[in-house]
Amino acid sequence: MQAIDHHAWTNRWRNRHPVEKLLPALTLLALTLALPPLTIGPLVLAATLLATVRGAGIPLKTVLSVLAAPAAFLLAGAPFLAISVRFHDGFSVQFSPDGLRLAVDTMVRALAATSCLTALILTTPLTDLVPLLRRVGVPTGIVELILLIYRLIFVFAERALTGRQAQAARLGYSSVPRGIRSAGWLAGALFQRALERAQRLELGLTARGYAGELRVLPSECALSWSRLALSMTLVGLIGLTSSLLARGLA
Amino acid sequence: MTVPLLTVRGVDYAYPGGVMALRNLNLTVEKGQKLAILGPNGSGKTTLLLHLNGAFQPTCGEIRLEDRPAGYDRRSLTDWRRRVGLVLQEPDDQLFAATVGQDVSFGPLNLGLTAVETRERVGEALAALRIDHLADRATHTLSFGQKKRVAMAGVLAMRPEILALDEPTAGLDSHGVAHLLDALQRLHEAGTTLVFSTHDVELAYAWADQAAIFQDGTVLRQGETTAVLADRDLLQQARLRPPLLLELAQLLPGPLLRSREAVLAQLQERLQG
Repeated sequence: MQAIDHHAWTNRWRNRHPVEKLLPALTLLALTLALPPLTIGPLVLAATLLATVRGAGIPLKTVLSVLAAPAAFLLAGAPFLAISVRFHDGFSVQFSPDGLRLAVDTMVRALAATSCLTALILTTPLTDLVPLLRRVGVPTGIVELILLIYRLIFVFAERALTGRQAQAARLGYSSVPRGIRSAGWLAGALFQRALERAQRLELGLTARGYAGELRVLPSECALSWSRLALSMTLVGLIGLTSSLLARGLA
Repeated sequence: MTVPLLTVRGVDYAYPGGVMALRNLNLTVEKGQKLAILGPNGSGKTTLLLHLNGAFQPTCGEIRLEDRPAGYDRRSLTDWRRRVGLVLQEPDDQLFAATVGQDVSFGPLNLGLTAVETRERVGEALAALRIDHLADRATHTLSFGQKKRVAMAGVLAMRPEILALDEPTAGLDSHGVAHLLDALQRLHEAGTTLVFSTHDVELAYAWADQAAIFQDGTVLRQGETTAVLADRDLLQQARLRPPLLLELAQLLPGPLLRSREAVLAQLQERLQG
């Protein structure tokens, strides 16, 4: 998570308007879900990898390691789709060609869909995307809450880490039962800290004239229509190519 | 005599639950002063500072802004907080926004300024603390010292007349302290009145015009820094030690020297001569 966050804040496309990244990513995602996976999947994977690595300048290794976790789940889960279990005439496990096709389709589709989201989160900090929610009618209070939670996750993650290290230094994790007890204490302490912190944060914000709304200046990057049009054209071409390929194969 | 910018008169404060935090506390803040509130940890300095901008309301006694008693209705509080800025000790208690620039924009927007004015204020505050280059950085990726400066910028952007700082040097290394004091000195020269709490007698001696010795919820004595810090009985009562620099300076004949360089130069001269 730290790695994703780091790249989201420092990549070459950091200062592009979030819609320029969100719209193509979501359209690609929609295409992946709608079109035959064997043709669209590889195209989308290639496009998103190219965009994140060559475009946004994120190291290939990082992108692959972010994709690795969901890919591992897919590899572990998808093969079972190729197997069918029957219960009449006793119990039998069968390998079916239809099932194999289904497994491959599912895997390619899921991986391609994940790559769309990976490309988005690696190039755009969450805090750029959340304010867009306000435009589509999500209440301000909820948007503010999401942003505050995002900020506090890092504060508490740090606390949790140092707390765990301090416990480990005093052999708090030297056996499994002891580890469970230590983790429980740590969680309890963090809850208490969270409450105290909330109170002090309120004081800090009050000192700066907080009156119920967390207003800040919106970020200044302007939406480039030409860039958006270009990327949407490319996305359209990918969709078209994949449809033609699918027809050709069929 | 001119009216002080801020006067605390006979203030008592009890925490919900009845524990007395402040009792019969008196303090005056004159325009253009650098006032150090000196006391041991846990003596209630933070509680006092939270009274200076209206975050806490005294159970008894009053706080006056120039010639008028401060009010606790929404309008008076807004005005009060514009005039008295408070920087908390722990910057994470104050920073909430995703980027530095956004966080600093919070105060000016709350004052009802336009986006254009706010942007100008943000630039000005970041420049005053020499952290313009951090404007687009994510808040959570900053170092502790950087966070402290950003928290200060967030208050400065409201252009307060009085800047109150709770333990401003706590947790900073000597380089960080020097950087901070430089910034505060520039603010002071630009006309900002400074009030800071600290348990560091050396800092108070080197830097403050006035010192208030604070213990067990009350100010034992407020006065000119050298006079207050030379009062050994008083310091002992407040569990503070006199600053080493002052003790050395007292060994030297002539008028009392304040700067470290001057004292060292004199000592060297005498040791060699």
